[in-house]
Amino acid sequence: MSVRALWIISHEKGEHLSLRFARRFATVEHRAKILAGSSYTAVPEDNTVLQLLLTELGLSDPDKPFVALRDDCLYRQRSPALELRVDSPGKGMLWPVLAISHGPITLACLPLVDAPAEPRPALASLLSVSQGLTLLAGLQTFLLGSGSKSDTEVLASRLAMLPSVLLQVCPLGTPLDVPLPGAPSTPTVPTHAENQKQPAWKTGLHRGRAAVNVALIETVRSMQYGNRSRQDLWDVYGTVTCKCEVEGVLPNVMVTLILPPNGSPLQDILVHPCVTSLDSSILSASSVDNFDGSAFSGPYKFPFSPPLEPFRLCSYTSQVPVPPILGSYQLKEEETQLRVSVTLKLHESVKNSFEYCEAHLPFFNRDQFGVVDVKVSSGQLDVSKEKNLLVWGLGQKFPKSREVTMEGKISFSGPTPGPTDPLCTELTAYIKLYFKVPDMTLSGCSVDQHSVQVYSSSKQRIITSRELQSKEYFIWNSTGSAPVSSGQMML
Amino acid sequence: MSDIWTQRILSFSRSPSRFLSGTTAEGFLAELLRELRDDRATYSLKVLLLSPLCESPSLLCLSDLLGEETALELMSIFNQCPPKSVQFRCHLLLALTSVLVCTSSVNNRSRASQDFLDLLLQISQDSNDLHGDVALRATACDCLREMEACSPGLLSQRLELLGGLRQRETSRLHQAYAGLHTLVLRNAVYQLTQETGAGAEHLKALLGGNTSVAWEAELDLMTGKDDSAVLSSLIRGPMGSVPTLQTGPDCKELRAVLSSLLEESYLLTPLSQAALLHRLTEVVAMVPGVSPAVFRAQLLRLLGTSEVCLFHSTLLMKSAFTDSLFSAEDEAFLLQRLVVLSQHPLLSPPEKLFYIDCILSFPENRPIGCGDDALPVLLTPRLASVLVPTVFNDSATLLARLHLLCLVYLEEEDEEEEEGRGLGYLYDHLTSLLRIVDNGGSREIVVTFFRAAFLFLSYFFPVERFSHSLMEELCSLYLRHTHLAPHFINLADQVQEQLSESNWATEFLKALQGAITDAELTSKDLSWHLKMLARVAEEGEIKQQSTVNFLSHIITSSSLCVKGDWRLGNFLLGVCRRLLVHPGLDALLIPLADVLQHLACRYGDTDIRDHARLYYTLLTTLSKDKLAGVLSQGYGEGGGQAKKRTFSCIVAESEGLTSLLTVHRAKTIILKLLEEPQTETGSGLNQNEDNPEEASVALEQYRAQFDVPGFASEIPLNYQLTHSESADSCFDQLFSIRLHFSLTDDRYEPLGDVSVPCVFRERPPPSVKLRLKPRRPQPTSLHASAIFTTQDGLSWLTDLPDVHVAFQQTFLPLPAPETWGRGGRLSLFDGLWDEMSREEPTGGATSLFCCQLQEEALKTLVEKHFLPYLVSDQSDKEEIKVLFFLPPQSHLLMRIRSEETVHFNVATDNWQLLPHINSYLLTLTSSQEDAHA
Repeated sequence: MSVRALWIISHEKGEHLSLRFARRFATVEHRAKILAGSSYTAVPEDNTVLQLLLTELGLSDPDKPFVALRDDCLYRQRSPALELRVDSPGKGMLWPVLAISHGPITLACLPLVDAPAEPRPALASLLSVSQGLTLLAGLQTFLLGSGSKSDTEVLASRLAMLPSVLLQVCPLGTPLDVPLPGAPSTPTVPTHAENQKQPAWKTGLHRGRAAVNVALIETVRSMQYGNRSRQDLWDVYGTVTCKCEVEGVLPNVMVTLILPPNGSPLQDILVHPCVTSLDSSILSASSVDNFDGSAFSGPYKFPFSPPLEPFRLCSYTSQVPVPPILGSYQLKEEETQLRVSVTLKLHESVKNSFEYCEAHLPFFNRDQFGVVDVKVSSGQLDVSKEKNLLVWGLGQKFPKSREVTMEGKISFSGPTPGPTDPLCTELTAYIKLYFKVPDMTLSGCSVDQHSVQVYSSSKQRIITSRELQSKEYFIWNSTGSAPVSSGQMML
Repeated sequence: MSDIWTQRILSFSRSPSRFLSGTTAEGFLAELLRELRDDRATYSLKVLLLSPLCESPSLLCLSDLLGEETALELMSIFNQCPPKSVQFRCHLLLALTSVLVCTSSVNNRSRASQDFLDLLLQISQDSNDLHGDVALRATACDCLREMEACSPGLLSQRLELLGGLRQRETSRLHQAYAGLHTLVLRNAVYQLTQETGAGAEHLKALLGGNTSVAWEAELDLMTGKDDSAVLSSLIRGPMGSVPTLQTGPDCKELRAVLSSLLEESYLLTPLSQAALLHRLTEVVAMVPGVSPAVFRAQLLRLLGTSEVCLFHSTLLMKSAFTDSLFSAEDEAFLLQRLVVLSQHPLLSPPEKLFYIDCILSFPENRPIGCGDDALPVLLTPRLASVLVPTVFNDSATLLARLHLLCLVYLEEEDEEEEEGRGLGYLYDHLTSLLRIVDNGGSREIVVTFFRAAFLFLSYFFPVERFSHSLMEELCSLYLRHTHLAPHFINLADQVQEQLSESNWATEFLKALQGAITDAELTSKDLSWHLKMLARVAEEGEIKQQSTVNFLSHIITSSSLCVKGDWRLGNFLLGVCRRLLVHPGLDALLIPLADVLQHLACRYGDTDIRDHARLYYTLLTTLSKDKLAGVLSQGYGEGGGQAKKRTFSCIVAESEGLTSLLTVHRAKTIILKLLEEPQTETGSGLNQNEDNPEEASVALEQYRAQFDVPGFASEIPLNYQLTHSESADSCFDQLFSIRLHFSLTDDRYEPLGDVSVPCVFRERPPPSVKLRLKPRRPQPTSLHASAIFTTQDGLSWLTDLPDVHVAFQQTFLPLPAPETWGRGGRLSLFDGLWDEMSREEPTGGATSLFCCQLQEEALKTLVEKHFLPYLVSDQSDKEEIKVLFFLPPQSHLLMRIRSEETVHFNVATDNWQLLPHINSYLLTLTSSQEDAHA
């Protein structure tokens, strides 16, 4: 349940790769040596590790098209655990090396295998693996911030803080906690509350007026093909984020999610570890299960004791009967030009009040736009010639008919080739929708402001909000071949 | 100063071996400790200085004794450190733990480790919390936990104390105590399971803290006995067996401890909670008297968790307790959860991959098979269908899902129920990947596609409609993207090697041959085609007529021969050469001879013409068997080092030829340099003494010699060049060895290469004389490499182990004028000594080294080590004068007097030498002591 070593690699644009941080845990290494016995492989020096890691990640020798070690089709890895083949002098395998990459950095660690080395134990039997993943993810969030913006200065200053952060969260190779994202944790004044133990995940105590902020965000994804042979797909998942400022060492708060009558049950509910107890009926509905009409449909009660920082209380998925916006997209090749025809219909159950709504129509593997002769029934059209992209801004509202259309012709007679994409060739093309609707959810799920209970003496302010947003919302051209996006389509 | 240290620490951690080659481990350690004691250094620098001790203590503390001393030193630094520098004190505790654990002091229960343990226990019990001691207490607890983890049973006797500390603590620190308490409990219970006859009473005594003294001794003995078993996790799936402690149903005390720990588990961070649950799972698994139901209250909370490590610890719990804690419904629920989590939009790709892996080794209540990748029975194709790979997945996810689904449909295939619809989907997926590659996908996609193709084939090669159609798709893909040839060859090679029961690879190569020979030719594809045909020609089962026709067509109908491209010519010859050894050669004889003759006469490159002519001659004059014999020897280049290359060298085509022309890199170390045993040259002093009387005259005469450039500026070092033990037998006879040396620092002038005619394993090793020319006489190491030729004519490059030049190897005897006798040397010695001990800032310095040595020991020491450098007469017992000359112009003078202790008075004109002479004397005298002790 410990890690032997930890590495952080940064790769800025321009392919400059460098090891930014490395930490070895000597006592864990000592245990690794005893545990592995004769099959022990020492961790090589940093440069060697870096090379091996890059080879396994497929990042080494970027200018060579085929390198046998890197590109062999016999794929031994069982991700997420890589296997580093250490050459002389200490021949052997380093396994399981966990690596996660995000933006400009890759974090890697080598968990201790606390089982006999031969035969190789299953990854799932090593608790150190999931702990290593948690540690890496926590460090990554700390280094990049939640916004994942690659600000090199922020990264450098966070890296400089790492030694003192590790002193707290992983002093001797056994991860105890993940660093708090953002600001460095300041040691808070110890509190000697009587009898009640302070949770280890709570860095201090809130003093002052109580406030609870509960935000429910639903995200809808969709793949629409406009084709009888292919079923359109959409799914919805929701997250409930809380920020609670409540006095007391272990205050009790209860948030309840409610569904409208006939709402389909919330599925796949995952909760934050601060939730104190769960009713088994809450967990019963699953998206991979056969739909069970008699399933529990709320109210969903989540009793918890909040940490100080904002956190994701729970998440769920939901099966809604219709997508919020149904689109059809048709392209026809006509000699030198492309005839475009688009219809978007807003479903009547969706509130016609957007924060924003935009449709993007990219065109790949063609020359740049020449003449764009396209008319829209509503909204505004922007043309980006370099990117071969039409941006259709639909504004805050669909017209009364709840239907908008786009018709026209585009010629691709520009002087230079536009962007390329190996997936979208010929008539394979898509529209991607970006929208956000405040104060509504597709599943109908909501947090009732009055149902939020805070067991605390002082008066409290309670704010709840909800919104619907899109992500990966694709409408494929029905005259071209569109890629399969889910196995459920075939069943 | 701090910048220099920052740089040094950085370069140490980058590459400790390289760093230590320029200094000694003891020296560096001593410097670190000195700097740590220095009041002028800031605490942030001191924290940095501790990092080598935290991360690589065993590189610095070379012996247990040294570790012990270092620990004592660090503890005294700790005691003197003001309480307010918390960070530094915390890091000191970490460094101490690392040093003591890694030098086995903890296991040996040494003094220092006992002291340290007491210190930690004292800190951990001190809840005064002045000066933010919370952090210090937390660190102390973690140090205790780590020491217990490395040396199980260390704290068994303190179980009650630790339990009490945990229960009383109300600040966040209770987590640290809980982690420590559970680990100690787990190890203590494990120890009891190893005791014969231990039972409920022992357990009760242990938890109550009132163990008898006799028993304590017994427990102590436990550690060290098969360490790896106690360190291993006890939860190992269906195959693992857990040692048990028979207590009967009465273990109230243990149950009380467990429920108290579990009740508060909610208050721990997910990471610590998972570790605690896992430890407690182990404890309950070892004590059958406690029902796994103690965990039930936590289960619902855990089953709904979004934290990967908490869910994982629940799975491990299931693996340990199976149906004694988890019902069949629970099992179905858990599996569903895993499937959901494996594709949950809110989780990160590595987490999802981990969950997929958990499905593959799902801990079933009643496992049917227990081989690798036995899918859980409950994983139906319907359930798994949410995990089918799509083109929107990243590479790793795609391959992991494909692997899982292959396993699912492999079972389905047997049942023949769904008519392979799922399999059909997988195949469609593969072809859509192929489309992406076809449309110019990135390198990553190309690699992923070939991996997916191999994975698919490895499960479904017997399903002909798919494997055949894949073959056709691949062939047409190849014709459109010939530059992917290495991937295609790699796929064919791997399928052939890994799936030996299938002949898919041969069929595939045959299809490729057909595709290539039928295709319309463009010049840019030709080299890839030839590479591919050469691979095809290696298959004895594939008829080669069409290949020969193809060759004949391209050389006659295009401008290939006129252009005379050497590389293309070699590719052509490569195909021909493989055809010459093809079993179906008889049928090819005439057309192949025509091709070769055409090449020999018409090709625009002389080298290719020569080779072609040779092949032609061989083909037309030798019988098939002889031909095969001649050619096959040179076959299979690259790996086969042992193959002799006589005639076949000449006839080999491009690869064989290039393997002759290129220098190969040896994979192992083949040669090494051994220090040659010193042959003492008796310092034959000149009898016709012509000694200067005055010291100043002696100095003058002596110094005048240095006006001659290059005078006494080189240190001759004698080595023997021998084989290393691991060298392969094909390296027994090496010729024309050229040794190349490169410096690792700037203390010496660069060295020239050294040539050695030959090294044979059975003959005495040749000697190699290195002439080092110091700029500054200090220890160093040299990187050495050698290029040589083996008997079969190949050239090799090998690295030699680094040559370490020790401090004492830089000593030369005094280069006094030849006419001098002892008197002259003595006057010079005195003259130099006077100069060096003057107060003026001449760079000179004096020092005193004392040690306990018997007279006899001192005598041996002088004879053994100082004889060539002795200035005084050997019979002079009172004061021994030794002078080391270190080129280019440094001197180290020693007056050795034996009183109660032996005093080594040292003077030098180069103060930087002092640390080195100190550590040199330390090694000498301590070895001498040992010899006499």
